[in-house]
Amino acid sequence: MVKLTEKMHEALKVPGKGGSLVYLATSSLSGKPNIAAMRYVDTCGDDKILISDMFLLKTKMNLKENPNAIIAICHPLEAGGGRLWAFKGKAIDIEYGFPPNFNWYGVTAKEILDGWGDWHAKEPPEEVPPDIVYPVPAQRGVVVLHVEEVYSLKLGETGTRIL
Amino acid sequence: MTIELTPRMVNWIEACGCHLCLASPAGVPNVIMARYASVKGDEVTFGLTQEEVGAIRPQLTENPWVAFGVSHVGGIRAAYQFKGTGKLMTSGPVYDSIAKEANEALAGKLNAVLVVKLTEVYCTKPGHVAGTRMDTASEGMEKFEEDLGWKDFAPPRSS
Repeated sequence: MVKLTEKMHEALKVPGKGGSLVYLATSSLSGKPNIAAMRYVDTCGDDKILISDMFLLKTKMNLKENPNAIIAICHPLEAGGGRLWAFKGKAIDIEYGFPPNFNWYGVTAKEILDGWGDWHAKEPPEEVPPDIVYPVPAQRGVVVLHVEEVYSLKLGETGTRIL
Repeated sequence: MTIELTPRMVNWIEACGCHLCLASPAGVPNVIMARYASVKGDEVTFGLTQEEVGAIRPQLTENPWVAFGVSHVGGIRAAYQFKGTGKLMTSGPVYDSIAKEANEALAGKLNAVLVVKLTEVYCTKPGHVAGTRMDTASEGMEKFEEDLGWKDFAPPRSS
């Protein structure tokens, strides 16, 4: 079982709290990839990464048919030694309306939605530039990635399994 | 239809590099960072190290689709997603044209280039335009950017 390190937990926070934007990569079942940057990110326990379902389109469609997903740090601070990681695993979009006791690798829908279901109020996008920030929040759920493997994206080490 | 990227897109891609996503035919994704990128017409060429090539070759040999977004601060400031089909090259005119520069950017570790012929461009800015296909916009991609108020035609030097 994967256990994220302290440095990983620190990086997997919203940028305003010292974390970083992340890329969420998914694929259709027929193999057409999709990658989009996400601001709302957090960790839950040792092996789960959470992303807000806000304005997701193809990502959402892909996850409905194929749970395989990767989260990678978008701004990996390469010069400082880095947050050069790709987190690989199975993801689900826990939307409002899921049965509260729905269980995804040990965490329930109620825990997730109670904790991160109103993410705009929890961590408002104060650091996001005005020409980028959304006018109205439109959260529909929380994507939960159960991390099964972590790979390096460091120059010369890309593809090496770290955890 | 041939895609012509806007000057803003070209500047951001070339300055920041990109996160590339490939997938197996069964839909298992894989991500690498491409630190060197060069745009010519509707093709984006990425310089890759041996390890990066090794990480994507299994997917690419079976499934040519490549999706990518701009790395670093470009993830938020350059809110685009590009899609196309990719081909690895280790020689030839395209390889030769960027080899010297790419090798320098990769600390002397250039192994191959990945040439992606673009077929789709999407806006990923949060809000009503999220997921909108830009390359089919009736008034063109530059007008699309102008309407969004994006005036930073290149990233700041520190990014």
